[in-house]
Amino acid sequence: MSEAPDGLAIEVRGLTRQFGAVRALDGIDLEIPRGAVFGLLGPNGAGKTTTVRILNGVMEPTCVQRLTVLGHDLPGGIADVRPQVGVQTDTNLYERLSARLNLTCFGRLFGLDGREAGKRADHFLEMFGLTSRASARVETFSKGMKQKLLIARALMGHPSLVYLDEPTAGLDPEASHELMRYIRRVSRDAHATFFITSHRLEEMENACTQVAILDEGVIKASGTPLEVSRSAILTVRVRVRLAPHAVLARSELMAIPGAIGVEFDGDGMVVTLAGIDAVPGFVRAAAALPADLMGVAEEPPTLQEAYLALVGRGHHVREEADD
Amino acid sequence: MRWNRALAIATKDLRDTFSTSQLALPLVVVPLVVVVGYPMIYLVALRYTPGAANGLQGFLTSFPDSAVPVFQGMTSAGRAAYIGIVYLFAGFFLLVPVMVSTIIAANSFAGEKERRTLEGLLYTPVTDAELVLGKVAASFVPAVAFTWFCFAIYTVIANVMGTPIIGQPYFPTPNWWALMLALVPAVALFVIGIVVLVSAKARGFQEANAIGGSISLPLIGIVAAQASGIMVLSSGLILATAGVFAALDAILIWVIVKSFRRSRIVSYLP
Repeated sequence: MSEAPDGLAIEVRGLTRQFGAVRALDGIDLEIPRGAVFGLLGPNGAGKTTTVRILNGVMEPTCVQRLTVLGHDLPGGIADVRPQVGVQTDTNLYERLSARLNLTCFGRLFGLDGREAGKRADHFLEMFGLTSRASARVETFSKGMKQKLLIARALMGHPSLVYLDEPTAGLDPEASHELMRYIRRVSRDAHATFFITSHRLEEMENACTQVAILDEGVIKASGTPLEVSRSAILTVRVRVRLAPHAVLARSELMAIPGAIGVEFDGDGMVVTLAGIDAVPGFVRAAAALPADLMGVAEEPPTLQEAYLALVGRGHHVREEADD
Repeated sequence: MRWNRALAIATKDLRDTFSTSQLALPLVVVPLVVVVGYPMIYLVALRYTPGAANGLQGFLTSFPDSAVPVFQGMTSAGRAAYIGIVYLFAGFFLLVPVMVSTIIAANSFAGEKERRTLEGLLYTPVTDAELVLGKVAASFVPAVAFTWFCFAIYTVIANVMGTPIIGQPYFPTPNWWALMLALVPAVALFVIGIVVLVSAKARGFQEANAIGGSISLPLIGIVAAQASGIMVLSSGLILATAGVFAALDAILIWVIVKSFRRSRIVSYLP
C-alpha cells in the first residue's frame, strides 16, 4: 500500500498511454478526493475510456509517474482495489438471463452470499422501478431499463469508488434526476467517490463537485465546475434588471469602466465585463445610474461555455446532444 | 482462490448457455442421434433382418479374435452386435464431449466478447484463475455429464436390445469404463483448453467454434480406424491415450492461466 496524500481516492501523475503512433493520453494528472463526485468530460476519442480502463487495471499505461487508487499503487495493488470498486461502462448485460440474476451474479462475484445478493438486488430493482420486471429476461428491456440495470450492477458490491460512463444516457428525466440525487446522497453520507464520464454538461455541472476536461489526451482544465468555467471564460457576464417602464441607454452601461459589451435581454441587459476585477466597480457605478434598477447580479459562465471554449469543437457537442 | 466466485461464474455461464434453444438443441439432439439412434438401428437390423450379419463379414473379420469373447452359442449376428456395441460406436462417444465442450467453451469465452459482456466481468474482483476455472467448469461439467448420460442410455439399449442377440449380458466392458472415466474427461478438458486459447484472439463465437471444431478431425480418424478394425480401443490403449491427454491438459491449463491477461483480452474487445 502506498502513502497517498490524505483523503485522495485517485491520484494520477504523468499518465501516458500510446496506441502505436497515437498518444491517447499524454501525461495527464488527476487528484480526486474521497467522497467527490468527479466528472471527466471530453469529446469522443478524448481518452476517457482509456483512463477508466487503466484506473481499473484492465489496460496498462505506457508510462506513469504515480497511479494510486484508494491508497493502492497500480498495477500491483489492483487486487486490493477491485473489491471496493463498481464499474458501469458501455458494456452489455446477459440478455438471456433475468434482471435479478444479472444483479445477484455480480453481487456474488463481490463476495456477497446468495441471500445478501438477492436482498441488495431487490433493493436496486425497486429503486430503479424495475421490481415488476425482475424475473423478465433482459433482452425484453428498453434501452433505459438496461441502463438502470447496468448502474445497479455497478452498485451491487457496496463500492467506495464508482465509475459511471454516460450514466443518464437513455434515462428519462425523472430517472436521471433520481440517479443524480442518489449519487449526491451516497457521496455525502457514505463518503463514496463517483467518477463519471459524460457529455451532459448541465447535469455534470449540477452533480459534480470536481470536473476535468480531457481533450486529445490532455487535461485542459480541472477543479470545481465554477473554477473550470472561470479559468476558461475570462470575461464576466452581469445581468442588469430594470424596473417596468425604466429606460436605460446602452451607452450609459458601456461608459462604465470594464464594460466591453451590452446586449438587451428580456427585462434588462446583459453586460460583458473584461474580468472579474471589474465587477465591484461596475455594480457601484450601475447602482448610481438614474434609471430604476431591480437588481445587478453576475451570471457565472456555464460549464458548457467553458467546455466549448476549451475543446473548440462545438459542433460535435451539439450533434451528440441532439442524439 | 475463492471457489464461490468461480462457482458463480460457472453457474451464470451454464444458465446463459442453456437458456437458448439455439445452443441447447444442437447440444442435445445431435449427440443423441449419433450415440443412441445409430446403435438402436444397428441392433434392430441385426435382430430382425435375416442375413444382416453376413453383409458385415468384411468388417467383422477385420477384428482380431482376441477382441471378441466367445460366448456359448454366439451367432455371427451376436459377434456383429458385440463388435458394433463395444468397438464401433466407442469412437462416437469421444465426439460427444468434443462437440459439447467446443460449443459451450466458444460461447463462454469468444461469445462473451462478441456480445460485449466480458468487459463487465473483468472489472470485478474475480481473479484470472477464478475466471478461467469458472468458465472451464461451465464447459467441462455439462460436456462430461451429458456424455455419461448418453452412456447410461447406451448401456440400457446395449443390454435390452443386444443381450437377446449376443446371448448374455456383456456391457459395459472394461474398455468402456476406461473410456468414460478417463479418456472422455481428459479429451473434454483438452478441447476446452484449445478453445480458450483460440478465444483469446477470436473475435466471436463462430470463429472460435470453427477452429475448436477442427480438433474433432483426428477423432473422426479414431472412429474410422475402429470401423475398419485397424485399431481396437482396448482398455490399455484407452488409459494410455487418456494419460497423454491428461499431460497435455496440465500443460494447457498452465499456459492458459499464465498467459491470461485482462489487458490482452481488452485489446481484442470490439
